[in-house]
Amino acid sequence: MSRLAQIPIRIEGTTAKPAGQAACGGLGGGVAALLAELASLLERLASTQLPAAIDLHSLPMSALDRAELERVLGEGEVRATIQAQGRSMVRETRISGVWWVEHRSARGELTAELLEVAQVPAILASAPDEIAAAAGALRDHLEAGARAPGEIDER
Amino acid sequence: MDLLAFARGPALEAALVIFCVGVAWRIAGFALLRLRRDLNKPRTPIGKWITGGLMTVGSRSWPHPEFIPRTGAGEALGYSYHIGLFIVVGLFGPHIAFLGSLFGISWPGLPSGLITVISVLTLTLFLAVLFRRLTHPVLRMLSNFDDYFSWFVTALVLVTGLAATAHIGAPYQTLLAVHILSVDLLLVWFPCGKLMHAFYLVPSRAINGAHLARKGAIS
Amino acid sequence: MSAEHDGLTVGEMLLKHGISRRGFIQYCTAVASAMALPPWMGPAMAEQLRASPRPSVIYLSFQECTGCLESLTRSFAPTIEDLIFNTISLDYNDTLMAAAGEAAESARTTAMMGSFGKYVLVVDGSIPTGAGGAYCAAGGRSAVETLREAAKGAAAIVCVGTCAAFGGIPFADPNPTSAWPVSAIVQDKPIINVSGCPPIPEVMTGTLLQFFGTGQVPDLDEHRRPKAFFGNTIHDRCYRRPFYDQGKFAKSFDDEGARNGWCLFELGCKGPTTYNACATVKWNGGVSFPIQSGHGCIGCSEPGFWDKGSFYSALSAPAWGKAGEVAPRQVLELVGGAAVVGAALGAASAGVSRVRQRQLEQHNDEKGG
Repeated sequence: MSRLAQIPIRIEGTTAKPAGQAACGGLGGGVAALLAELASLLERLASTQLPAAIDLHSLPMSALDRAELERVLGEGEVRATIQAQGRSMVRETRISGVWWVEHRSARGELTAELLEVAQVPAILASAPDEIAAAAGALRDHLEAGARAPGEIDER
Repeated sequence: MDLLAFARGPALEAALVIFCVGVAWRIAGFALLRLRRDLNKPRTPIGKWITGGLMTVGSRSWPHPEFIPRTGAGEALGYSYHIGLFIVVGLFGPHIAFLGSLFGISWPGLPSGLITVISVLTLTLFLAVLFRRLTHPVLRMLSNFDDYFSWFVTALVLVTGLAATAHIGAPYQTLLAVHILSVDLLLVWFPCGKLMHAFYLVPSRAINGAHLARKGAIS
Repeated sequence: MSAEHDGLTVGEMLLKHGISRRGFIQYCTAVASAMALPPWMGPAMAEQLRASPRPSVIYLSFQECTGCLESLTRSFAPTIEDLIFNTISLDYNDTLMAAAGEAAESARTTAMMGSFGKYVLVVDGSIPTGAGGAYCAAGGRSAVETLREAAKGAAAIVCVGTCAAFGGIPFADPNPTSAWPVSAIVQDKPIINVSGCPPIPEVMTGTLLQFFGTGQVPDLDEHRRPKAFFGNTIHDRCYRRPFYDQGKFAKSFDDEGARNGWCLFELGCKGPTTYNACATVKWNGGVSFPIQSGHGCIGCSEPGFWDKGSFYSALSAPAWGKAGEVAPRQVLELVGGAAVVGAALGAASAGVSRVRQRQLEQHNDEKGG
């Protein structure tokens, strides 16, 4: 009966993992594959400055895999909310250059979810053409503001 | 009209007609032949001939003990793939729907995964049977076009059926159409060759048995 | 519909309607994700569209039930309002536009001439050619003429609905109006078929947006349907597939099996031979689709689906009857008749055999046996 104790036991899906062991998903190692892809995209970003993205919507993930992914990626220092048509959430992960982006419709439904590999997701930055138009509008406002205060009309 | 509509429609209808005409022809053709008048006095009453005939159907279903070492393997192989075929044809959901819609009845089937396993086993046995026919010197000498073509036509139905359920090799419509067309081919070939053993087997053994019983040679 | 927006790019027009650059990126990213396009295409489509002048779209309706347009106007995301007011310039649609009569027709001809070679023609309904085209005529001109004329200056033609794509209901046996799909009338322009009876709204709007956003015809299958939506069968993506694989079939509507959500194969589901996005994108904003609601797929995005046999006989069942379903009585008649013929032939062969046997016996007797 002492043989019973020699049978190795592996517990699926717990957070306790020895340091250095690669994180793997609860049900199929899907997270490991995703992390491998992120690693190669990050290497590409580091050497060529080319951004990329992974669409999470198209990847079938179990709840366990998802929790594992969130645990591994973690929380970074930046969290941004975009209120445009719907509400979007951009969150930097613990991995520098990997951003978790969620887009929601005006009704609050999740319409897209991406992992963006970039210095900063493109949607956050202001566009050059908009900057030029805004500069002109601000200048006009300053000139008109001396006579009558009001809102800056960018249109 | 696309291939699937053709296979399920005109082709199937024509195949069924040819099958029925052919089978009825062959059965009537042998049933109406003259029986050589037996001028001996019958040694047993008529009731005995009937029971004798039926018993012979059973007793000839397995070789006599002294022949088993030589023919047992072949017999077992034959029984196995026949049983496999009957299970796959009769207990698979879509087949039950097909046969049921023809005759207006239905019956419960087996899980489709199990049917797939049995089909693969049956196909393996089929290949084994062909291998045996090609390597056994006596069988090879006795085999003709009928033997090989009947094997081919049945194996084709098995293979196309597996391809269709596994959805491999072509879009599903094409696979299903090819499977149904192979069944049509089987139906057309059926009355032409040795596949008629399905109808001849029982009558032929029964008639031989009845003759023997009449002669008093069955205990 | 769009006179005051002439000369503006899509981006400028969007700003006028309070839709910022970021808002449009959100929207295009969602569409790209729904269409399983690569993630970089969402922002790329947004940029391309914002920088270009509003694409002109002319929507022609022929021999149709208006179901496709009704479906299109129920699109949840992108909504048709988004599409019409923010992106495309819908220069003619006789159901939605406020103008009528001469004013409407002149709007169409002006748009066609103004954007000659660049506008997209969206067509729904089949085109009847019988009686010189009289079965469908508007403004004194037949559908055939109107289509041919409109196709001349079109950059591409999007055929919305099974009627425009494959002929649909009017094309079904016996086709009394000699209806034809658009592809039979126009052969020299790129055609995208978005089939379905009706097509899923998000499929229609997504395809249009992808075409405008990339400027290219998307990957099409052999029936010219966009592979992004028509690449898989319903069966491949059906949530009831495990029941099919286990052989658990519902035998009749509302029986025990049906209530347990078992596979509807025996109730005539045409899912295995139908290519559409119903099982993934679903209907009414992802609420449900026919199989989820308990009825088998009728194969409405496939050519000739009206003439492919009963909606309620299984795909494995024979289909040579008039209504497609073969009744046991029909089989009995066929089998009985064939058996009688066969038996007669058999009797004849047996007769010939017996005659020969007798001749042989006589011959042997004569020889002295």
